[in-house]
Amino acid sequence: MASDNTQIRINDLSFDIEGKTLLHNTNLSLNGDGITVFLGANGAGKTIFLKLLTGLLTPCSGSITFKGGNLSVKTRAFVSQEPVILRRTVLKNMLFVLEKITSEKSTLAKELLSLMGLDKKEHQNAMTLSAGEKQRLCLARAIITNPEILLLDEPTANIEPNSTTLIEKYLIQKVRSSRKIFFVTHDINQARRLADEIVFIHTGRVIEHSSSENFFENPKTTEARKYISGKIN
Amino acid sequence: MNDISEAFVSSLGLILFLDAELLEIILLSFKITFYAVLISSILGIPLGAFLASTHFKFRNTVVSILFGMMGLPPVVVGLFVYLIFSRSGSLGWMGLLYSPTVMIIAQVILILPIVCCLTFQIIESLHTRYHEFFRSYRIAKLKSVIAYIVDSRFELTTVVLAGIGRSISEVGAIIIVGGNIDHITRVMTTAIALETSKGNLDLALGLGIILLTTAIVLNGFILFLRGKYLNTSGSTI
Repeated sequence: MASDNTQIRINDLSFDIEGKTLLHNTNLSLNGDGITVFLGANGAGKTIFLKLLTGLLTPCSGSITFKGGNLSVKTRAFVSQEPVILRRTVLKNMLFVLEKITSEKSTLAKELLSLMGLDKKEHQNAMTLSAGEKQRLCLARAIITNPEILLLDEPTANIEPNSTTLIEKYLIQKVRSSRKIFFVTHDINQARRLADEIVFIHTGRVIEHSSSENFFENPKTTEARKYISGKIN
Repeated sequence: MNDISEAFVSSLGLILFLDAELLEIILLSFKITFYAVLISSILGIPLGAFLASTHFKFRNTVVSILFGMMGLPPVVVGLFVYLIFSRSGSLGWMGLLYSPTVMIIAQVILILPIVCCLTFQIIESLHTRYHEFFRSYRIAKLKSVIAYIVDSRFELTTVVLAGIGRSISEVGAIIIVGGNIDHITRVMTTAIALETSKGNLDLALGLGIILLTTAIVLNGFILFLRGKYLNTSGSTI
């Protein structure tokens, strides 16, 4: 899968906890743009992998390089499955993650909220938003930090369909062209809609890595075939 | 029974006509409580927030000691402060014994662990939800501690109110270090103890009614805040 635009290299990455290996020596070369979807059954190691990329977990061995150098923390933004919302207004939630609040950033925050359909709620207590609105706020909050890499851990798992549609549309139309996106999902249809490339993880091992088209048309492994056909959850 | 009912009526008269002695005692009680709770909150809330959101080598030991201090016997604290501030004590040169200042110091020693530990418990649960978010966005330690405090403001108000309740009803420590001196260190609780022993039930009852009313109002306010918090966040305290 290595190509000219390969910008993220994962070398011998592994993660153990209490003597149990949750991610086995993983080597990957990933495109520096587009959407990479991590697919796999429950407990396969997708979230562990994503958190290693985010820097929330420290690998037991191996390294991750971005554009030939270390993957700096400032290049990444992470959105978790459960939206983490601060007990303050929607706009203040947006501005909280900024090191310095400027008038340009405030304007950008309002623009991002508008894109997420939250422009009329910027002064509302963010705790009173619906689950989908909270997740849209989390995504907008991630984007305002201007990350080069956006890491999304099942961001649409527990939200209403209209928010899922809005988030997907936003990622495809506005984010994909300018940022690398890592997206963890269980939803095969969502992976088909979003993915440029698929990383299929099974019991802590990356067993398949290919373009989305190749993965769904011609899966190479038995596990991937079973997963696509719904025989593994 | 007649004595009690007469004393009760007499005490209501003292309250309604704002008896000067009664008023002086009440004001001093509120003043000491205000400063003791203010100092305890300024020190205890950030310390509790820091302990709840930071892991260091002896953290559990420090937390265990603080939790143990929640049950400090007031008379022992009073004795300890008395020994320090008495003429032969290490801080005796300050001449603070039998003054409202030393009463505030004794109360801070009693209330600080309560404020700190209750804050710790509240913010620890918030930390479980926030810490990954803070780490992923590289939020500075000071900013995160402030965020924990700001986002727990409703619950922390109940902590402060609990501190006020503890402070205003305390008698053991302040009677030792304050000496219950008329017009100088006499507060509601120490006055109740003294007037009861003297058989002056109307003043004791009057003070008791005010103390009880204060406790009821404080608890009512805690319940009000709890309801307000539940309405705005959908979470439980």
